[in-house]
Amino acid sequence: MSEFFQTFLNPGVMAESSGLLLRGLWVTLQACLIVVPGGLLFGAGLALAQTLAPAWGARSLSWGVDLIRAFPPLVLLVLIVHGLPFLGIEPPPLLGVGIALTINTSTYYGEILRAGILSIEPTQWEAARSTGLGTMATLRHVILPQGVRNVLPDLAGNTLEAVKLTSLASVVALPDLLRMARVAQGVHFNPSPLILAALLYLALLWPLVRLIRRLGGRAVLPA
Amino acid sequence: MSDVLELRGVGKTFAGIPALRDIHLAVGASELVALIGPSGSGKSTLLRCCNRLTEPDAGDVVFEGEPVPAGGAELASVRRRMGMVFQAFNLYPHLNALENAALAPRRAAGLSQGEAETAAREALERVGLGDRTSAMPDELSGGQQQRVAIARALALRPRILLLDEPTSALDPELVGSVLRVIRSLREDGVAMLIATHEIAFAREAADRIAFLADGEILECGPPAEVLDRPRTERLQSFLSRL
Repeated sequence: MSEFFQTFLNPGVMAESSGLLLRGLWVTLQACLIVVPGGLLFGAGLALAQTLAPAWGARSLSWGVDLIRAFPPLVLLVLIVHGLPFLGIEPPPLLGVGIALTINTSTYYGEILRAGILSIEPTQWEAARSTGLGTMATLRHVILPQGVRNVLPDLAGNTLEAVKLTSLASVVALPDLLRMARVAQGVHFNPSPLILAALLYLALLWPLVRLIRRLGGRAVLPA
Repeated sequence: MSDVLELRGVGKTFAGIPALRDIHLAVGASELVALIGPSGSGKSTLLRCCNRLTEPDAGDVVFEGEPVPAGGAELASVRRRMGMVFQAFNLYPHLNALENAALAPRRAAGLSQGEAETAAREALERVGLGDRTSAMPDELSGGQQQRVAIARALALRPRILLLDEPTSALDPELVGSVLRVIRSLREDGVAMLIATHEIAFAREAADRIAFLADGEILECGPPAEVLDRPRTERLQSFLSRL
């Protein structure tokens, strides 16, 4: 048992690698600050475009969304970070990771938001139209406030996935939390830094997980 | 008396089945016209064709002397001046009574927030809910919700109200409060076209009653004439089953 403890929960190793891991945590946070707002923004764009576009446009968009969702995010990440330089575009690694993961996660955010829009009964659209409200005003003031509320637990759940997705960045040598934990693991020949990284992810995500639990407990769909 | 709203030969077909056939009907300023008839006779479709929530296939709808535009800002402007009240209220559940009534004055008519709220408050007072402005729809009874829906339409100062069975979804004891509001609007000279199953109300409040069956107006005239001396067999049997 003490051998297990020395291997996975070695306090000395954890203390020595904590500086490295905190630097990694900061990089992970920066990646999240690109991917989560970016994914929400582009996801909202996708959902609105599919709602407003004529049928053929909405259909081609949903094809594109499905293609991206079926594409492994790791491959997308490698293609963008290592492929763009061949086109003469060389974004800083953090930005490259941000772009790739935003593309991936925005399709999920988009589908969730579209479900939210579709969850509102057509009679709400009719009530708004009968008072002369236009499509955009109806979306903004009538449909989205209710629709987004209906899918808040799913949005929060996808945010959780998006944060964890940023750990893929370690594959393309971005010094994020997971990458730094692997580095520290190599330096100390000991996996305790990985456990420490997991604890840091837990600290980062625990409030979000609890929030989802609370949101899920409150049904907000209208009767 | 000039007509606020006039339907000229309006027709509508749903999947090959005619829902409205060659409807001719006019509503004059401060006139109340009641549409009666069995369920599925086309009363709702007729009302929805007036503001093009349902697109008629044939004929013209003329509002204040002009054909109702097919779309865009012109149609939106006509819809503002044609208030609509739905059977199931269709209030915005995330907004309180005042916000429900102030949304269109602010976002469709372009009034300032202050002006929109004043218009909404006046409309709520007119339907007897001046003291419930901050109540959410789910905190109100069905009758109160329907009165908020009427206020939402009134806040835009419409020339005519289209009411689609406004009391059919209400418990019997709540019907009276809504009908009282409609009567008081009639006394204020608001033109109304109302689909209803409340024959006693139609007899007493309507200037004219139109009887619809299978998408056609079979009889139209003053209540005493239509209800007491029905000419068609359809109307006779409809009235006898009430």
